[in-house]
Amino acid sequence: MKRSHLLLAAAAAGALVLSGCSSASESASTSGTVNLLGPEDPATFAPVIEAFEADHPDITIEYTQVPFDQYSNTLQQRLGAEDDSIDVYAVDQPNLSQLAAQGFLEDLSDLEDEARAATSAAQFDINVYDGRMWALSIWNSTQMLFFNRDALAAAGVEAPSVAPAERWTWEQIVDAGRATQDAGMEYGLLFEQVEAYYQLQPLAESLGGGSGITGDEMLTVDVTDDGWQEAMDWYADTFESGLSPRGVGGFQTSPVFMDGDVTFFVGGPWDVGRFASDVDFDWGVAPMPYFEGGEVATPTGSWSWGINTASKNADAARKFLEFAALDAAGNLATTEATTIIPANSEAAAEYLPGLEALGGEHTVGVADLVTYEVENTAVARPVSVGYVQFESAMNRAFADIRNGSPVASRLDQATTQIEDAWSKLR
Amino acid sequence: MTIQSTRAGARDTRARTGSPGPRARRPLRQHPALIALAFLAPALVALIVLRLAPAAVALWDSLFRTSLLGGTQFVGAGNYLDLATNPDFQNAVGVTLLFTILINPLQVATAFLLAVLYTRRAAGSKLWRSLVILPIAVPPAVSAVIWSVIYRPDGLANAFLDLFGIPAQPFLTSPQQSLASIMVLLSWIGVGYWMMFLIAGINDIPGSYYEAASLDGASGWRQLWTITFPLVRRPLAFVLVADTVSNLLVFAPVQILTKGGPEGSTNLLMYDIFTRAYTLGDLNTAQAEVVILVLITIAIVAVQFRLLKSED
Repeated sequence: MKRSHLLLAAAAAGALVLSGCSSASESASTSGTVNLLGPEDPATFAPVIEAFEADHPDITIEYTQVPFDQYSNTLQQRLGAEDDSIDVYAVDQPNLSQLAAQGFLEDLSDLEDEARAATSAAQFDINVYDGRMWALSIWNSTQMLFFNRDALAAAGVEAPSVAPAERWTWEQIVDAGRATQDAGMEYGLLFEQVEAYYQLQPLAESLGGGSGITGDEMLTVDVTDDGWQEAMDWYADTFESGLSPRGVGGFQTSPVFMDGDVTFFVGGPWDVGRFASDVDFDWGVAPMPYFEGGEVATPTGSWSWGINTASKNADAARKFLEFAALDAAGNLATTEATTIIPANSEAAAEYLPGLEALGGEHTVGVADLVTYEVENTAVARPVSVGYVQFESAMNRAFADIRNGSPVASRLDQATTQIEDAWSKLR
Repeated sequence: MTIQSTRAGARDTRARTGSPGPRARRPLRQHPALIALAFLAPALVALIVLRLAPAAVALWDSLFRTSLLGGTQFVGAGNYLDLATNPDFQNAVGVTLLFTILINPLQVATAFLLAVLYTRRAAGSKLWRSLVILPIAVPPAVSAVIWSVIYRPDGLANAFLDLFGIPAQPFLTSPQQSLASIMVLLSWIGVGYWMMFLIAGINDIPGSYYEAASLDGASGWRQLWTITFPLVRRPLAFVLVADTVSNLLVFAPVQILTKGGPEGSTNLLMYDIFTRAYTLGDLNTAQAEVVILVLITIAIVAVQFRLLKSED
């Protein structure tokens, strides 16, 4: 509490210094203080701030942390009040279009070429709304399939390969999972974010169901088509049949894998470090599966950074943002203190071998896998001003479907809920 | 107010009959209401700033609609009409009323019985009493996380049932059991707290009443209903009203354990307000819902007061 007060005070003081500077002379616009707002622990961004300040002695970066739970709410309040003590702020990628539509993001379209060159296509597109680019990607993410090699061996099943060309189908996963259950394993399959759109979108995408949002304005719900129906029927069945456990909350899933109670586990790069240090059985990594005869689709997306339209020090803010996103060394510095994939392709190329080394023999080939997924199979979450409402209604639907609600009527209900919430946007 | 001015007036007369005070003080003495107001000011300011103003803001905001793409406009009762036809809201009201009707009598009755039990002079009653009160020391969020593990399919609760040969229950994953599961966890937290008030009430009853009743040959059961129960009516009334209000404002366990599900079976009004305001971003309709929740609370409490009064 005290610390956040201090930070607020520091941010306010910074704003005062800043307004003093900008009124003093126009040429001083690429100096002074740039205030950065984000949900991460201050230690996360200390390396990038230090590196930037070493290059630009005239500019000081002040970081303020707002915990993730309150982040989007706090942003809405402060940006809505045209608070100029925020210059650069972290944008949760699916919220980008909403922030841009509200006029809270500076148009960065003149940086399009550099941005396109610096990152993957999916990570570039995600910052575009209404034909213009509003932010730069800082981090990226993907998902992969972790498996318990000992459990597969005990059941006499050959383990999947890490090579994308030998990617397993969900049908294979179900069969192999059941075989391990017959051989004494508690569960066959578990998603890390069991009730979250981020991880479950690829199921529908793989069967041609689309993201669930369509239309020119991206304000038409479409989660009742055959693809969604089939994907959710499959998902419901994994729980109904006991392949996956019901009643295990989102924050309790990875311990189930780490305790050796589930054979297949869909998780993120952040699990590599965790499993490497805490898991005592033989495990491995494979590409995220797809449905037989369907498309390959993997989750992606993370955080971008944008510039507040009310910022009084936009030029200096832009310098810092370019350094953190477009400069490979700068972008790499944002991942120094945490396990996350840098969005900058060059930085990622340097970062990924380290990630692979973290898991030792268990994660051989992970760097190539991540690079392949990010470049070839990543499907971003839909860019829509109504994404937040959409996601919340869908997550509730996933939870109910998991617990046995009839799929068709539950998807209909989600459609009504989303349409109802969206009617308030216009 | 009347009592205060009369008292101030009385003091004034006393002052006049005695030696007259310095002139400078007279103007203030002539306006006792002002002095009273000055003393009341901190409380009044707090009342206005912390209670009345936010309530007024909620009421005012509930009459507008702010859309992301269309700006703010006055819609009058529009948000209330929207809510009336919204199936999620209708469900939330239904769930909240069912919850209120079931949990309050249950908790108050349990608290009363425990209070009677633990005021008996029995071996270890103070120790047991402390154990029942102990969960208050655990923050609600932490209790919820503990119970989420207990309620898991492979959790403690099912292991316990298994001891008696009862098949595993779905608890929080079943629309039929989730609300009851939340009630059990809330009672685990709350009953000990409410019991303390009732224990204080029971300890205030003079022991001679029981002695007299025993001499007259009244049974323990008879003593409970004709002595203990009527004489703890006051703390009991407080417990009932305070418990009802606190149960109407339940939020953390729902947010942590069920997120209102499965199928909206635990979507209490307070949680519905939260999702509407902070997930769906529809603050105006959420304010309308707050106003409705306050009205429901007032109505239920008013009925409780009336019932308690008519028994007098």
